[in-house]
Amino acid sequence: MSIEVKNLSHIYMQGTLTEAFALTDVSFTVEDGEFIGLIGPTGSGKSTLIQHLNGLLKPTSGTVLVDGVDIWSKGVSLKEIRRKIGLVFQYPEQQVFEETVFDDIAFGPRNLGYSPEEVERSVEAARQVVGLDKELLSRSPFDLSGGQLRRVAVAGILAMNPEVLVLDEPAAGLDPKGRKEILDNIKKLHESGITVILVSHNMEDVAYFCQRILVLYDGTLIADGAPREVFTKEKLIDSIGLKPPEVTIVMRKLRQRGWSVREDVLTVEEGFEEILRCLGTKGVALI
Amino acid sequence: MMSSGAIIGQYYPTQSIVHSLDPRAKILICIIFMIVLFVGNNFYAFLVTGIFTLVCVFLSKVPLKMLIRGLRPIVFIMIFTMALHIFLTPGPTMFQIGPLKATWTGLMQGFFIGLRLIILICFTSLLTLTTSPIELTDGLEDILKPLSKIGVPAHEIAMMMTIALRFIPTLLEEADRIMKAQMSRGADFESGNIIERAKSLVPLLVPLFVSAFRRADELAMAMEARCYRGGEGRTRMRELKMRKIDFVAILATVIMSCFVIYTRIRFGPVLPPSMV
Repeated sequence: MSIEVKNLSHIYMQGTLTEAFALTDVSFTVEDGEFIGLIGPTGSGKSTLIQHLNGLLKPTSGTVLVDGVDIWSKGVSLKEIRRKIGLVFQYPEQQVFEETVFDDIAFGPRNLGYSPEEVERSVEAARQVVGLDKELLSRSPFDLSGGQLRRVAVAGILAMNPEVLVLDEPAAGLDPKGRKEILDNIKKLHESGITVILVSHNMEDVAYFCQRILVLYDGTLIADGAPREVFTKEKLIDSIGLKPPEVTIVMRKLRQRGWSVREDVLTVEEGFEEILRCLGTKGVALI
Repeated sequence: MMSSGAIIGQYYPTQSIVHSLDPRAKILICIIFMIVLFVGNNFYAFLVTGIFTLVCVFLSKVPLKMLIRGLRPIVFIMIFTMALHIFLTPGPTMFQIGPLKATWTGLMQGFFIGLRLIILICFTSLLTLTTSPIELTDGLEDILKPLSKIGVPAHEIAMMMTIALRFIPTLLEEADRIMKAQMSRGADFESGNIIERAKSLVPLLVPLFVSAFRRADELAMAMEARCYRGGEGRTRMRELKMRKIDFVAILATVIMSCFVIYTRIRFGPVLPPSMV
């Protein structure tokens, strides 16, 4: 399934004193099976952009096409769009409200009119994906820990069997262990064939997981490409107040000191290999 | 966005004489004005209070259009009270529908009641339009302070109002966010009958209450961490000070009140000369 965003602009409170341009002429296409990272400083329009993808916000101008069909044209069921494109909000645990974990995960499927058996089946599948203990299903969501609750919330979206999963800072506020678990889950989901769009402030995560990066700044799309391309655009990244992964900065500094390491290193493992390779050619005398 | 809707107690930020008045003076003037408005019962009283309101509006630089927009919600109440007056007041008959008798006296009374409502709404909205919420609660606190001797928690009431006003936009934003999150899970807030719609609010209200309680808890903690312990001995960043202009404004209101009271004693509930 593909999503095509064409010349999308959004203005909040148009025609009032507090009118604000949130997005200006944004265009890009999401192909089936991609893993895309959406980055940009606070207030750059990331959240506004993803709310357009499943029809929560209506563009001021421009269109959003899902499988070639404008989602705001007549006869398109927004409910169906929202099923296909699952949107996980930031701090999704705050949307939990049911008496039991099971009922909360089942909220989406029930809204879609699934039969009780189908509901049961999709809740079970979602529970397994996020790695939630089965006995937790009968507990009250308000008894769970932050990390567990986050998984319940993500499972609530997964239970609707989305084809595209959009996540706004899914790891925000979690401890390192919870962070790794949720990101590994997302990676597994992507491997199972789901298209993923990940909004994140953490450049390490984005560099490690994503095949393609979109950079938003002040409501405009200023870069769109593979992580290696984007993060080596040193000036561009610095000028908007973002930071490439730490290891990329280390490599850059090493080069400035005369090491002939590659600059487009994105992960610590890669960096390790590069330094070893360099030491091999230069000899141990350097250290 | 949800927060784009009408908001009670909207503040219209600009610089004018009315804006610069001390909030205590403004509250006092409002109270006097409201009493006088209900004391006045003849044509002259309405003429004077009406002109007084118009002058205040003019001085405040608030666009008249904005005030008229504020009247929209009470149109129904106004028509309803006017109809009641027209049909239920005894007097010379104007026309008759079945057992309902419309009277001329009723028409006049209904007209005056409607006028009184319009003036009342316009004048009191002028208070919130020209006074920022912070100023308003500060002023209210000072006015209530004498009552703290008999156990009215003046400072606490003002603080509660400040906090409540402060959190209206926050809660609206939060409601908007939770609503969108639930819509992403296929929730439908717009269709269905009344019962279905009320039910569909549960997924919105439960998280909203949970977060409001959490916020209240955190706020209380943060206030205590900064040694907040109520109003006693507490000073303000902006001290309120009555200036000459404030006394002039109050004096003008008092003079107008005296005139209205005089017309009530002198003329009583009569119609304007031309209509007698």
